[in-house]
Amino acid sequence: MANTTTKLHVIFGDGTLGVATEDVHYLFSYEKGGLESILSHGKEWLYRPIRPIFWRATTDNDRGNHFSEESAMWLGADCFTRCQAIDVQVDGEDLGLPIAPQNNQFSNDEMADRVDITFDFQTATTPATKVTMHYQIVANGKVTLTSHLQGNEALPELPAFGVQLIMPTVATGFEYDGLSGETYPDRMAGGSRGQYYVAGLPVTPYLVPQEMGMHMQTRWLTVTRQRTLNNADVDAQPFSLSVEMNDQPFAFSCLPYTAMELEAATHIEELPLARRTVLSVYGAVRGVGGIDSWGADVQPPYRLFADVDRTFTIQIHPGNHVTD
Amino acid sequence: MQADIKWLDDPQVFRVGQLPAHSDHYWYRDADEARSKSSSFAQSLDGQWQFKFADRPQHRPIGFYEPNYDTSDFGTIHVPGHIELSNYAQIQYINTLYPWEGKIYRRPAYTMGSDQTGEGMFSEAPDNSVGAYIRHFRLAPGLRNQRVIVQFDGVEEAMYVWLNGHFLGYAEDSFSRSEFDLTDALVDGENVLAVEVFKRSTASFLEDQDMFRFSGIFRSVRLVGLPTVHVADMHIRPVVNEDLDSGELNVTLKLTGDLESKARVHLTVFDKADKLIVDEKRPVAKQISFGHLPFENVMLWTHHNPDLYHLTVTITDADADPIEVVPYDIGFRRLELRNQVIYLNGKRLIINGVNRHEWDAATGRTVSMADMKADLQTFAENHINAVRTCHYPDQIPWYYMCDQAGVYMMAENNLETHGTWQKMGAVEPSDNVPGSLPQWREAVLDRARSNYETFKNHPAILFWSLGNESYAGDDIEAMNTYYKTMDSSRLTHYEGVVRNRKYETSISDVESRMYASPAEIRTYLSNQPMKPFLDCEYMHDMGNSLGGLGEYMALLDDFPSYQGGFIWDFIDQALWVTDEVTGRQVLRYGGDFDDRHTDGEFSGDGLMFANRQAKPAMQEVRYYYGQYDN
Repeated sequence: MANTTTKLHVIFGDGTLGVATEDVHYLFSYEKGGLESILSHGKEWLYRPIRPIFWRATTDNDRGNHFSEESAMWLGADCFTRCQAIDVQVDGEDLGLPIAPQNNQFSNDEMADRVDITFDFQTATTPATKVTMHYQIVANGKVTLTSHLQGNEALPELPAFGVQLIMPTVATGFEYDGLSGETYPDRMAGGSRGQYYVAGLPVTPYLVPQEMGMHMQTRWLTVTRQRTLNNADVDAQPFSLSVEMNDQPFAFSCLPYTAMELEAATHIEELPLARRTVLSVYGAVRGVGGIDSWGADVQPPYRLFADVDRTFTIQIHPGNHVTD
Repeated sequence: MQADIKWLDDPQVFRVGQLPAHSDHYWYRDADEARSKSSSFAQSLDGQWQFKFADRPQHRPIGFYEPNYDTSDFGTIHVPGHIELSNYAQIQYINTLYPWEGKIYRRPAYTMGSDQTGEGMFSEAPDNSVGAYIRHFRLAPGLRNQRVIVQFDGVEEAMYVWLNGHFLGYAEDSFSRSEFDLTDALVDGENVLAVEVFKRSTASFLEDQDMFRFSGIFRSVRLVGLPTVHVADMHIRPVVNEDLDSGELNVTLKLTGDLESKARVHLTVFDKADKLIVDEKRPVAKQISFGHLPFENVMLWTHHNPDLYHLTVTITDADADPIEVVPYDIGFRRLELRNQVIYLNGKRLIINGVNRHEWDAATGRTVSMADMKADLQTFAENHINAVRTCHYPDQIPWYYMCDQAGVYMMAENNLETHGTWQKMGAVEPSDNVPGSLPQWREAVLDRARSNYETFKNHPAILFWSLGNESYAGDDIEAMNTYYKTMDSSRLTHYEGVVRNRKYETSISDVESRMYASPAEIRTYLSNQPMKPFLDCEYMHDMGNSLGGLGEYMALLDDFPSYQGGFIWDFIDQALWVTDEVTGRQVLRYGGDFDDRHTDGEFSGDGLMFANRQAKPAMQEVRYYYGQYDN
């Protein structure tokens, strides 16, 4: 990790905000509405900006109980949610959106102890609601990401609420501290707590591709890759990025596919060739249910009603998991 | 006797010329053969058969069973196997609707009036494909100069059998063994066995299970020779007394052959430590009963200690040389129903069960010994202690294997008439069979009889299940009565009576439901239940499912009359296919064969994927079943 006495280097760009330590350089895109780059020791971690997600692929039970039909607007929100507002604070000073001419006052050696940047999203739902993603970077280079969904009782139940990191290449594997196997809120009693390594990005071969690979109650997660898309990068040494719980454990899946790709396939052989790593980190997910597959809903404690505010916080940093 | 194609249309004709069902024992020439489980009285006919497919009865090769019939246009097929998986006919998966849905209008004979006989419904049907099978054989030395029987372990759904041009009989009931006596039609040298298999008959109404719909000789075929004196049937009834320490054994043998000879019957029973417990000798007779043979310090058969005693019947000739040796491993256990609770050996029975279709992704319902062994291994690893043979009798070896493994069995009849009473989810039994129709009663009773007579000696069987999802009426009530008359050592099970509670007191010893929610079960058990409760199907494990198992397991803590249940189901039904685009082997489901109407991926409800890889949900089963593993 970076020396904690070192300050953050803040680059007030015209379309981005750069935040750098000796080990990692973050780029927040004002245009794309999110963190678009985590570059550490020459290795890029993001293929697309981190975004909020609301959908997990329909399970057979969801199909049977018409959940996806009832909640279909969250699929639209998952695909098309709009970033509406951005706010930057440096060392607690609110700068709004510091683009030209406001940023003409800065130089190339702006230093800070703390940078906060908040992206406000409006969901593509009717009615719309608000999602806020607040990134805080402190001098050790770690990002703390807090995501907040504003509840609205007029909205249908959610499949999930989380954030997604799409990485440019397929991971060689991931390690996590959590429960064994695939677990869900209503199916995790059999998961044993421990640290597990999963090689590659296995796709669970459900007859019809559907939600898969969820890991509940996770304390930390490290994804390891070996390749980048950088044409000048010939180094083949593995490199890692970690996600740590903040105050509460999180759920995640680490797959080569997005929920939309899973949703579109009728057989696993129709899924595209695995090219990227899709890391979805969830604050809340719907259970899978099990009473029957033609109507019975997931039991109420394991459903995500939309009328409550939901918040979750994770920490992201390059490298391996660090014991506090 | 002449074969009559109109039998296909008549629910009152379901077995012609077949030998009566009997116990599933194996017989050997001597003790060495018995030890090696290799009988020189048996000759397998599995392998390549000559085969000719016809898309409908009118196109079938008439007279192909004559030994001089010109078969130059016949192809071949592997026995055992499904005609559809040899690509002669289209594969179709469908759940509750009949496979001819929207293609042919049918109502079961006599459901719309006593004059509606159904004549021509199947014998003249364009969807009733026919497989003409021919197998040439020479008798193995061990079978010569004896009575010779042909055994078909499973043929779907109706068949006519000839030997050397002589008609031998007709059979329905795809999942029970059918036997015909060949002796009088045998010739020296080469014999010609001919089997005409129809995909549809009135049996189609009784076999509407949620599965791929196949036809053909899909289980093994063999010849067996009967020695001069032969044990045709054995009825073994071990009894454990109330003290759970002492007991008695009752054995009744039915013999055939030369019963005037000086041959003798020798009955022995050894315990697992090779201690001789029973040693009885009798002269041969048509029926021999050994009653009330006392046992002390009985080793009880349970899931965790499936201790079996080794019973052997040896028939010896006047010189005391063996004529026939029949081994059978037997188990002592006491099953009781007291105050709405089922007890096994004095302990409340907890069923950590699964429903298991016979399935192999490459060969369909033709499953191998390796498949069966793998499944039992999976049971053991995941604390699965019980299996329901949904919804038909399984291959015979499976029952022996469950005896050995201590797996409790719900032995189900081959019966499901789902499409005759449930339409679009609603109960609408206006054309239900068997219902209370006398014309359908004997057919379903015959299925009950075959199931009972074949498997009656297996300690693993705790429940006789009358069938699946067939509504309830006088005919199913008659099946219940049949089992109650024959067998006091087991309980009867049938779920469908909850759809017609008029028969509640006369059908099923248990309140069995499928897919009841935990709350519904609580309601039943909190209101003076008439019967113990079990889920014959629960936790529908389609795709990524099996959430909420803990709420069912909690019922075990709260209600003594809750006995557990059978998860639906053990293994996905899907088929290996070469992908038409990539050339890879991939798993396909209903609708992937242009089959319409179909229920698509609804057959993928297993704890195991179709390739016998466990689904991730299995760890949840292992955990909860392990918590209640007694």
